[in-house]
Amino acid sequence: MTSLPAFALDIPVERHRLANGLRVVLSPDRSAPIVCVAVYYHVGMRLEPPGRTGFAHLFEHLMFQGSPHMGKMELVRLVQQNGGTLNGSTRYDFTNYFEVMPANALDLALWMEADRMRGPVITQAELDNQRDVVKNEIRVNVTNRPYGSFPWLDMQARAYENWHNSHNGYGDMADLDAASLEDVRAFFDTYYSPANAALVVAGDIDTEEALRLAQRYFEDIPAAPPPPPPDLSEPRQEEEKRWTRVDPLATRPALAVSYHVPERGTPEFYAMGLLNQALAQGEDSLLHSELVLKRGLTGEVDGGINFLGHMHNAQTPLLWTSTLVHDSDVTVDQLIEAYDAVINPLLERPLGEEVVHRLRAKARSGLLRTIAEGVYPRFGVADLLAVFELLEGDAARVNEIDARFAALTPEVLLRTAQEYLRPTNRNVLALEAGANS
Amino acid sequence: MTQEIPNHPRPVVPPLESSALPARRVETLAGGMTVTLVPAGVVPIAAIRVVVRAGSADVPAGRTWLDRLVQDYLGEGTESRDAETFAGALAALGGRLDIEGDEHTTTISTEVPSEHAPAAVTLLAELARAPRFPEGSAKRLLEDLERTLDIAGSQPQWLAHAGFRRAVYGDHPYGRVLPTSEGLATLGFRDARDFWHERAGLASTTLMAAGLFDEDAVLEAARRGFEGWGAGSRSSVAPSEASTTRSIRIVDRPGAEQSTLQVGRPVPAPGHPDYVAFEVLNSLLGGSFYSRITLNIREDKGYTYSPRSSISSRPGDAYWVEAADVTTNVTGASLREILGEVERLRAEPPSEEELAGILNYVAGSFVIRQATPGGILNHLEFLDLHGLDVSYSASYVARVREVTPAEVQRLAQEYLDPAGMPIVIVGDRSQVEEQVAEFGPVEEAAGA
Repeated sequence: MTSLPAFALDIPVERHRLANGLRVVLSPDRSAPIVCVAVYYHVGMRLEPPGRTGFAHLFEHLMFQGSPHMGKMELVRLVQQNGGTLNGSTRYDFTNYFEVMPANALDLALWMEADRMRGPVITQAELDNQRDVVKNEIRVNVTNRPYGSFPWLDMQARAYENWHNSHNGYGDMADLDAASLEDVRAFFDTYYSPANAALVVAGDIDTEEALRLAQRYFEDIPAAPPPPPPDLSEPRQEEEKRWTRVDPLATRPALAVSYHVPERGTPEFYAMGLLNQALAQGEDSLLHSELVLKRGLTGEVDGGINFLGHMHNAQTPLLWTSTLVHDSDVTVDQLIEAYDAVINPLLERPLGEEVVHRLRAKARSGLLRTIAEGVYPRFGVADLLAVFELLEGDAARVNEIDARFAALTPEVLLRTAQEYLRPTNRNVLALEAGANS
Repeated sequence: MTQEIPNHPRPVVPPLESSALPARRVETLAGGMTVTLVPAGVVPIAAIRVVVRAGSADVPAGRTWLDRLVQDYLGEGTESRDAETFAGALAALGGRLDIEGDEHTTTISTEVPSEHAPAAVTLLAELARAPRFPEGSAKRLLEDLERTLDIAGSQPQWLAHAGFRRAVYGDHPYGRVLPTSEGLATLGFRDARDFWHERAGLASTTLMAAGLFDEDAVLEAARRGFEGWGAGSRSSVAPSEASTTRSIRIVDRPGAEQSTLQVGRPVPAPGHPDYVAFEVLNSLLGGSFYSRITLNIREDKGYTYSPRSSISSRPGDAYWVEAADVTTNVTGASLREILGEVERLRAEPPSEEELAGILNYVAGSFVIRQATPGGILNHLEFLDLHGLDVSYSASYVARVREVTPAEVQRLAQEYLDPAGMPIVIVGDRSQVEEQVAEFGPVEEAAGA
């Protein structure tokens, strides 16, 4: 090609709803002979019951242990021996299961996910085995790792008032020990119904054929009423909160600074996305300039809106959180003073058009990367489609993201900064290095 | 509830068709620099990389992490723009600067919306040719590296990696993973500047891009951007002499809940006639979710969450390694199972059925991995590093299909004798030492 028009996001989206309530989203991309099949259940760490922390995640593991027509790990074997790869994950609001396969395995992939949607068929031995695996997952990612719970578990436990948002979604070991096969059955019956799920097929597909196969395998799964939505609401934070925690494995202190963000879907939410770009994304960001280049307080400042993903793939309440690791001769007050020097001007005057233009360019490019790249090709687009379908009721809104960013004026950004980056909305967690020698 | 379930027969998947990978356009600029362009995908994005053949193996003894200082310096701007101005110019195109390195390469990369690809190439060329190397940044960058080193020293996976490399390669550059604090302190901006200017140039650099973009405009931007640059020099690193003797090293981490293990040994490198078949062996033994070691120590015994074997390669050099974080009280049991699976493969060939599934997995993964711009560039970098050409990619799937059960067993016998495998354990020595006594004498306390 010799010239290209300016980028416009136009992902093909075809939406259907089966008789049992299952939402089906199809998105063809015929540029390579592969397909991603993803099933999203609208239940995550936020919805598990008290006394059963970590259960949503343990349940995800059990979904690989057998279903009516597949034995333990048979789904994994079938994916692999037909040339594919797979994964699953548990997030705040949803749990996903997906495989990326050669396009000729679409039929099998849909058959397998439909069988899995009929529920885990597992023994006590399989539950016990996966409980051990999950405990080892927690050890390797949290308890045996410096900064393992920092900032996500540490900060959400402190900054949120609502138990759904604040509790440890990896689970307390005692709760994991208490989980029984009866819990598995009850959790499945409550949350894993077709009407509480979305199936997304993205890649080298003929949409008519994909729909026909989806109907064949999924439509006779019995309907069940979707669970009532949980109350995730948080009160408006009215004063700054600060905490200190000692990490016995860490050798250098660290800091996390969090602010509650606007409600998903609002102009302010998208404005917070651009403020995240301004503050913490890339080496042109304000925090990098001030804290790294100018003051030399740290080598790197991270930031983001979702501990378990990005701004688009979680429901609010969420926290915008910035983290850094520093040396022991740098004080928390020094760091906060530097954050203030960066953030306060955003509350006082609007950003220039040119700056906002750059923020939009960065946000747009980030979205393109999410869609185009990744270890699991086509999963990035499938993920976006699934979360917009589940959380906003329409997968096609993925194509509006760019326009939502483009519509933001410097005044909206100012207004958003004034409400959401105000000091009284701030949570500061200082991590002390317990292994400092 | 089983009686309610309709019995849809499980679909049979037709054999994988061998699929054509995206076509590459290769051009050579004056001075010998190669430009490889791969139009691919439907998303209007371009992934761009400038790959310079200079890496950690080119760093003399005692100067470990000079390559990392160079990488950090590449974030400090160019002769005509300071760090903030350069980052701002790239960000205005939607790009962020990504700098990575390994033993033999330093890679400057970015991804931008399609229409900005030529402008991004111009910026990356400016950076590759004329990084700023401000003397005033040296103190800050070295403090950052010191902090990074300190944190690496607290992370069991880093310590296991460093310990295993040391056990396999000794004092060869491939064995030097972590510097000493004292060594770091000797580095300065002149070392970084000289390292780059001696090595980076038209003869040591390639440009590659994949995705959707105007090819001619990108090529023209590359021509103009790199015109008149010096030749640079390609590194020559002494061949490694990888160890094949059993050693057991424990890096003590008192109170650790898990032991972080690495065990493995040298194997054929990419380009060797056995390499592709060895990739098949790896996927069967420990390199995939449905592999023998993972099924054993995770899905049967629950000793660990993320066991994984892999092949780590450099030109003419490679090793196979199994890595796992296992519950402390089953450290010895885990090693017994891992080495037992190796022995089982040496003792008997896999069944036709098991192998057929793995062959499909390896072939399918090869196609899947190249379905993103970044995946395409990873493969191009791999080919370039190992001196392979397009015929490797074109014949890969066919070569995979030729692998037989007897060949897998032969490779295991020839290359994976457990008696020659170094073992590194990062864990609680007081809990672990006795458990691993059956595998040989444990070395005295070792640092990283």
